[in-house]
Formats: sequence, C-alpha cells, structure tokens
Amino acid sequence: MIGYYISLAMRSLRGTPILSALMIAAIAVGVGASMTVLTVNYMTSKNPLEHKDSVLYAVQLDSWDPNESYNRGGRGNQIPWQLTYQDATALLRSEIPARQVAMHRFGFTVTTDDSQVRPFVANARVTTRDFFGLFDVPFKHGGTWEKSADETPTLSVVLSSATNAKIFGEKNSVGEVIQLNGEPFTVVGVIEDWNPSPKVHDLNNGAFNDSEEIYIPFGLHRKFEIHSWGNNNGWNSGGNEGVTGYEAHLQSESVWIQYWVELDSAAQKRDYEEFITNYIRQQKEQGRFQRPLKFALTQPSEWLVLNEVLDQDSRVLAWCALAFLLVCVVNAVALLLAKFLRKAPEAGVRRALGAGRGSIFTQHLIESGCIGLLGGLAGIVLTLVGLAGIRVLTDDGFDRVAQMDWAMVFAAIALAVFASLLAGLYPAWRISRTNPSVYLKTQ
Amino acid sequence: MFEIKPMLSALWRNKISALLIAVQIALTLAIVSNSVTIIQERQQKIDRPTGIDVENLIGITFMPVPTEYDMAGAVVADLDLLRSMPGVIDASVTNQLPLSGSGSASGYFLEPNQEIGDLTANYYHTDPHFINTLGMKLVAGRNFREDEMKILGAHDNQISDVAIVTQQFADSAFPEESALGKYLYSGRDDHPTKIIGIVDRHLGAWPSWNLAGNVVFNPMLITGNHKRYLVRTEPGQRDAVFKQLEDKLAERDPQRVIHVETTEENKRQSYSGDNLMIKMLSVVVGLLTFIVALGIVGLTTFWINQRTKQIGIRRALGASRSNISRYFLVENSIIAVTGLTLGGTAALIINEAIANNFSQPPLSLSLLIGCAIVLLVVSLTAALVPALRAANISPATATRSV
Amino acid sequence: MLKMQNIRKSYRTDTIETHALRDFSLEVNEGEFVSVTGPSGSGKTTFLNIAGLLETPTGGQYLLDGQEVGNLSDSERSRLRNEKIGFIFQGFNLIPDLNLFDNIDVPLRYRGFNAKERRRRIEKSLEQVGLSARAKHLPAQLSGGQQQRVAIARALAGEPRFLLADEPTGNLDSLMARQVMELLEFINEWGTTIVMVTHDPDLARRAQRNIQIVDGQVSDLRQTIAQPEAAIA
Repeated sequence: MIGYYISLAMRSLRGTPILSALMIAAIAVGVGASMTVLTVNYMTSKNPLEHKDSVLYAVQLDSWDPNESYNRGGRGNQIPWQLTYQDATALLRSEIPARQVAMHRFGFTVTTDDSQVRPFVANARVTTRDFFGLFDVPFKHGGTWEKSADETPTLSVVLSSATNAKIFGEKNSVGEVIQLNGEPFTVVGVIEDWNPSPKVHDLNNGAFNDSEEIYIPFGLHRKFEIHSWGNNNGWNSGGNEGVTGYEAHLQSESVWIQYWVELDSAAQKRDYEEFITNYIRQQKEQGRFQRPLKFALTQPSEWLVLNEVLDQDSRVLAWCALAFLLVCVVNAVALLLAKFLRKAPEAGVRRALGAGRGSIFTQHLIESGCIGLLGGLAGIVLTLVGLAGIRVLTDDGFDRVAQMDWAMVFAAIALAVFASLLAGLYPAWRISRTNPSVYLKTQ
Repeated sequence: MFEIKPMLSALWRNKISALLIAVQIALTLAIVSNSVTIIQERQQKIDRPTGIDVENLIGITFMPVPTEYDMAGAVVADLDLLRSMPGVIDASVTNQLPLSGSGSASGYFLEPNQEIGDLTANYYHTDPHFINTLGMKLVAGRNFREDEMKILGAHDNQISDVAIVTQQFADSAFPEESALGKYLYSGRDDHPTKIIGIVDRHLGAWPSWNLAGNVVFNPMLITGNHKRYLVRTEPGQRDAVFKQLEDKLAERDPQRVIHVETTEENKRQSYSGDNLMIKMLSVVVGLLTFIVALGIVGLTTFWINQRTKQIGIRRALGASRSNISRYFLVENSIIAVTGLTLGGTAALIINEAIANNFSQPPLSLSLLIGCAIVLLVVSLTAALVPALRAANISPATATRSV
Repeated sequence: MLKMQNIRKSYRTDTIETHALRDFSLEVNEGEFVSVTGPSGSGKTTFLNIAGLLETPTGGQYLLDGQEVGNLSDSERSRLRNEKIGFIFQGFNLIPDLNLFDNIDVPLRYRGFNAKERRRRIEKSLEQVGLSARAKHLPAQLSGGQQQRVAIARALAGEPRFLLADEPTGNLDSLMARQVMELLEFINEWGTTIVMVTHDPDLARRAQRNIQIVDGQVSDLRQTIAQPEAAIA
C-alpha cells in the first residue's frame, strides 16, 4: 500500500507542478539554511579525542592573583587555562598518571644542507615525550624521544609527515639532521598525517589551526630561551628577588604551559587529585597559591565546551537557522493545506469507494513526506552551496569545518522529511476528517 | 465600503490558513528585526575608523636563523633600507602588527606600587617614526626623540620612561584633566612612565577586544628571536613595494626567514567572523522575506480560486475591478497587521533572550517599526499579483452553473 | 438487504437545526431495483449518504445485510462500503489524474487484493461496460456516457451486493441515459440490489419499485410493478 501511496503522491506532485515546486523550494531553502549552520556547528563541536574521553584530563591550577580571579572575556571556570613553568615541571615529577604532557606552541627556523629547500619558520610544539601516546598520534617512522630529553637538553625532533615530505621527500628521515635556529637536531620520528579539528589539545591558538610541523623535547627551554608562541598571561610582574632574565620568566607566575594527563582508573584519578591537593598545600606554605584551593581536571568533551569552541555567534546562527526552518514549515503547512483542500473531492470519492480515514491520512502524509524527500535532496545541494560560501568567506582553518560528512547528509534528509511530515500532519488530518458526501454531489 | 464585517467573517471561516500566514509574518518579523540589529552592529564595528592608513600599510615579520644574532644592528640596517625604497613613505620597528589579532597587553596603574585597580591597554614597542608610519595624528604633546629609544633583551624589565597614548586611553585614565605630563606605573613597581603625547585614535592589535582603542606606545626595541616592521607606502604603491620587500631584505641579510603581509588583509581576517555573521544573516533575512512572499502569493491565489464564483457574483452585482482587488488587499492587510503585532512582541522577547544569553545588541523600537513597514509592503506586493488577477475574473462566471 | 427504521438526521449550524430525515423507514430486499424520487431538498441525498454509510444518522436503526451499522467505527464502515456497496454519481466522480485502469483500481487497492487479482477484475469490469480498449485513457478523453460507464465499472469491480446510484443519468443526453439505464438493469438481473435516486419519472418507473421522499419521510409506499422483460428490451 505504501508503494501505491508513493505513486499517487508523485502523480499529485506532477499534477500541480508550480505549487509543488514552491513547497519543495521552501523546504529545500529551510533545510539548506539550517543544515549549513548546523553542519558548521556540528563539525565545530566534534571531539577528536572521543575515544579517550574518559581517561584524558586537561589540568588547571588556580595560581592566580590573590586580588582577583582569572577572567578571560567571561569564559571558562575562572582558573587559568595554562600552568606556570614551575608548576608544570613540578607536576611532571608525579608518577601517578599513565601518561602526562606539558607543552606549548613555539617556532623555529628550519634550514637544511639541501640548498633546494628554502629556510622557513616551522610551527613547533615543545612537549614532553608522552604527547604522541597520550593523544594517539600514529608514527610513520621511528618514535618519540628518550625520557631524559624532557629534562636535559637533547637535540631531537619529530617531524610531521608534511614537513618530512617538504624536506626529505618520501624518504624515511629518521637519523637525518636538520638545523633548527641554526642548531643541528636529529630526526627521531615522523608521524602520520594528524590534524584533529577542532584542535582540542590546544584551543588557545586558533581551535581550527593546523597541527604543528615539528615536535621538540621539553628539556630545551633554557638552551634556546624558549617562550610561548601563544597566550602568555601574568599578574605578578615583580618576580623573585635577585633572579633576572630568562630564569625570571621560568620562575614567574606567568601561565603559558598546557598540561594534560591520562588517568586510567577512578582510583588513579583520586590519587592524582590528592597529589595535586598536597602540592597546592605545600606551595601555599611557601607563599604561593594565595587564592582558595582550586584546581580542575577536565575531560576533552567538557574542555571544548568550557573553551566555547562553539562561539556565541554560532549559537545565534543556529537558533536563527532553526527559526528559519520553522517559518518554512509553517509555510509548508499553509501550502499543503491549500493543495490538499483543492483535492478534497478526490479524497471524497476515495472515501466513498471504501478508503478509511486512516488511508486518506496516510496517503496525504506520504505525499508530504515525498515533498520533504525531494526538498531534502535539493536542500543538500543548497547546503553544499552554503558551505562553499562559508569556505570563501572564512580563512584557511575553517575549510575542514565547513564540510558535509555522511552523517550530515542523512541528517539533512531526515530533517527535511521530519519537517514536512510535521507540516503535513494537520493538512492530512484535516482532509481525512472532511465529510466525503459534500464532494460527491455535482458542484 | 470596505465591508470589514463580512470580510472578517470570511477570514474566520478560513481561520487556520489566515493564522498560518499571520504566524509566518510574525516569525519573520521577529527574526528579521533581530538579524538586522546584529547586522547593523557588526557593520558599525567594521566601519569604525582604525586611526591608521590601512590601505597603504605592510607588515613584515622576520626570524633570524642563527641563535646568536645582532638584532639591534639588523633593525637599524633594515629600517635604513626600507625607508630608502622608492614608494615608501616611512617605516618603523614594532612588536606587533595593527589589526592582526596577535599582540600584547598590560595593566597600567596611576600610582606607584599598586596591586589592584589597573587599566588594561594594548601596547607597542616602537620608534619615533611610528606616527608617520601608521598615518596617525598627534593631537597633544610631542613625538618620541631618538635618544629616548631603549634597547633591551627579551627578558629584561621592559619599562619605558616616556609613552604616547591614544585619546581613548587618556580619557579613561584621566577623565577630568589632560593626561599630558601624567605618569603611568606597572603593578608592584615605582618606575614612572611619563605621558608625553596623545594620538587621536588607534584600534590596536585586536579590533574585537572590548577595550580596543586603549593603546600605549613605548619607544623601545626588544632584541628577541623575531622582529617586526611596519612600512607605509605612497598611495597606489603598496603592491609594487610588497613584491620587492622579501627579496630586498633577504638580499641585505639572507640568514633569516621573512614573512610579509598587508594590514588590509590583517584587517579582513580580524573581521572575518563579523563579516561571516553579516553575510549569513543577510542571506537569512533575504531568503526569509522571499519565502514569506511566496507563501502569501500561494495562499492568496488559492483563496481566490476558491472564491472565483463568489467574485463573479460580486462583479455581476456591480462591484468594480478595483473593489475586488481592494477586497483582497484589505484582507491581506488585516492578516499582515495581526502577524506584525504578534511578531513585534515576539521580536522584543527574543531580543531580550539573545541580548542576555549571547551578548547581542538591543533592538531599537524604530528599527522594529521600520522592519514591520518593509514586511507590510512585501506582504501587500505579494498579495497584489493574485488580487489583480482576481479583478479580471469575468462577471459571466456567476452565470455558469457547472 | 437494507432495513431502515425511524431514521433521523438533522444538521446543526450555530443558529438553526434542520431535519433532513424524520422517522424515515424503508426496507429494500435482496435483488430489488428501487428508485427514489422527491422534490429537491426533500432528503433524497441524505438518505443516500446514510444508506451508503457516508454519514451516520442522528437516530434510528439501520441494518445492512442484517448487520446493525449505526454504531460501527469509521474504519468498519469504510470496509463495508468497500466490500458491499458500489456508488454511481451524477457527476461520475472519476479521479481526473488517473486513467480508466487506475480509477477502477482505487476500490480494489483498499480491498487489499493482490496485483493479479486486481488486474483480472479491472479487465473484466472494463469488458462488461465495453471499454476494454480505452484502459489507458484519462477520463477527460471520454464522452459523458463513457465516463459514467467507467464509473459503473469501478462500482462493479469489487462485486458489491448493493449499488447506490445518485442521478446516474442526470448529466447525460437521452440516448446515453438509456444505455446507462440498460446497463443498470442488466446488472440488477445478475443479482445486485440497486437503489437509484432520480427525478426523472420515466426512469423511476422502470425500477421494480418507486418510493417518494417528501419532507424527510417516505410518503408513498405503493409499489410500481416493473416488467423485467421490458427492462431487458
């Protein structure tokens, strides 16, 4: 019977091509607009660390100014997003977490012996060796550096697959040497293409920026006087007496180190919380951490929310798009009602020939659904157009966000069919309730 | 003449359809008026004067390859080279590029050794050429002198003796009196920085920052591991200069990586979010109005088809063409005005919600009324086409029985 | 076959209540051909709508084929309509978008027959009305008489026991009217009970029995004796 209703629906659509096209266009435009916005929001809110969401935590310590809480544009939990260098190195001494990463963004000039490769500045991630294991970064060649490189200066580097290709072509470069800021670094590993979006492990430096080009051990700060190429916030410009220059920066209350831990069990998490509590207590005794004792371990999914990766403009647009779809639905209700009432005599005949109210209702609901299906297909095309428009209007990093995946394609069709079934509900009910005898008389 | 009463009872019989149109118009008004408010606010934000010669500015960032590098010497040589290039008006060294989204800010106190109560400002480390390079206007005091330049290491205590500030910063720091000759301090420090000049306007590195326009300029060169220059060209010369810059600088000293960008591009990128918002909301407003107009055309056509005979009878009984079209236009107005009244209320409620939850601007009554009038006109125009067609229905329709 | 006792039907608007049928009683036997006449507004159509289960009476009892149908649900009444009742209308009421084949298909679809059975019945009923060759035509391509024959074919395809005809010849010229009438008589010969509303006294006389409705009541139960032989001729 469904097949019969569908063939009737198609016949009916062909019978009133202009009104049908109008309805399909209305649904398509509504779906196109909402899916464009929803796709961007969906891609924006994706959690690339979904599979490790229950074991990874971003670490925050409230080492901020005793006079006022940390506040960045009203976002977050009033704890600094990053740690001071001294706290990061202290936390690294804990043996509780299965893996832990202290890191930040930086840049090095890259030169090679090959005169074909022009010197360039590579975006670098200065990090502890667990980075690759903790964030599940797959290696193409080699692996991460020795544990000792996180504390003592070791000129090792891990290349991204693109950087490897840029300098060495397709060759396995493990063991080769490149010059970073003029110093010889030995390549110990090359990772596979890895470019999570949003960049959940570092949301401070553009949530949709590309991943870094090179990875450098954490033990090199003093040798290169490395500071952060990212947010660097301080509140106590005085610093320690008698310490000057770069050392003062390392011992300051500036926060610039991002910190993540992997805690495999609830027990491990409890132990770690206790460890941090003790650490803060001990620091308090030394005159630091004068604010109320506060720290946070945040899972990736919550970290994305806390950092408002989906910004307020996106939310406004999402509501706007849904309201738009609502108008399209109301529009479709009105037009479907007009269309169905025009066909009321036919429904009357069908009733006389033995169709129950249910049959008439189903027949018309299916007709609405067909309009939705066609509207959804056209809506997908409009969504692709809309996303292409967004890619033109935004900068590079957003390219990966303004993309439709299969889930969104099905969502578009589902949304269109749902919207038109919703729109068809009242008109179909109305026509199924109409007294058939009215239409059977001539005139 | 307008037969309001029979018209109302006819509408009542078609109440669901009429209501659906009214609801569409209401929702449309609510969305459109709020969207237009946001669009206006963003456009005003983008149109704010930057205080600088955006079209003719180029920013350069370079990073030397060797770790040991004579940064101060390189900067002097580079600036001499840049200023001597044909088409270049002036060049300055700087720690940040205007409107680029990347820069530094600091808290300033009006008394020494304070911990709380600071004013935050975006700050530049630059040289005496900066006013001319950026194309700003000095409204009070004087420019820096060459002998006031400090050359410091990346981790030295970077406090200047003198500073130039924007009028906006001067006004917020010293609302009652002139800021000229007053002193600024860093927190927990007693080294005074004297304000020696005031420039009219400069938005700084982050145009979307809520304190954009609070800017402090210091005569200072920090020898870090990278440096930036700003170059202002003669009008029309920017692109020609832009093309040569990297080669010229690399020719003078190849041991470095150089990146060149225009301030216009930086500005575009800084506002790309606002621009996207404007474009998306404009598309929504346009499409929505179009959809509603289509809906009105569709439904008015349907009603007229339903009432063909009735219209014929009216014509046969002496109604003129204009009586007939007026009937449908008045009917449409009743629906539209109902919808717009509902929509106006909804618009204000929605605005309240988004102003509170998404920090969007408040909706002005005049804008709401403006949008309502535009929608009324759209609605009447949409109804006009079928209404004029209705007027052409022949009175003979009445006598045709089947 | 059909038994109505004290049927009442009133229509109510905001202000007035009109009684279309009052204490209406009628019995039609299996195989009968009954014509119903009466002035316009007398309640003929209401009677037909109630008889055809398109409307429910306000009161009274209606037995169709021995079954009380007054309290049946809409879907039960729809099923009865589909299985036992065929309709023929003055305006033919063919669905303009559907060709003859698909028009006749409509009641069979609701009956739930499989494709093969539907095709068999459609072809058979088209043959009965002599329009087999035009199965793929749309109603608009046919003359009025042909359209009415399609409507009859559609009514017959479900092999109903009971045929309701509302002014079946009202829109036809006399030649075509006669053809349609002969077709109905032929169908009646084969055992289908027919109730026909008409205001044409000649046609009414051709039925085995004529009843007259005046003011919502059966005014005259005198039988008009029809001659079956004459009907066939």
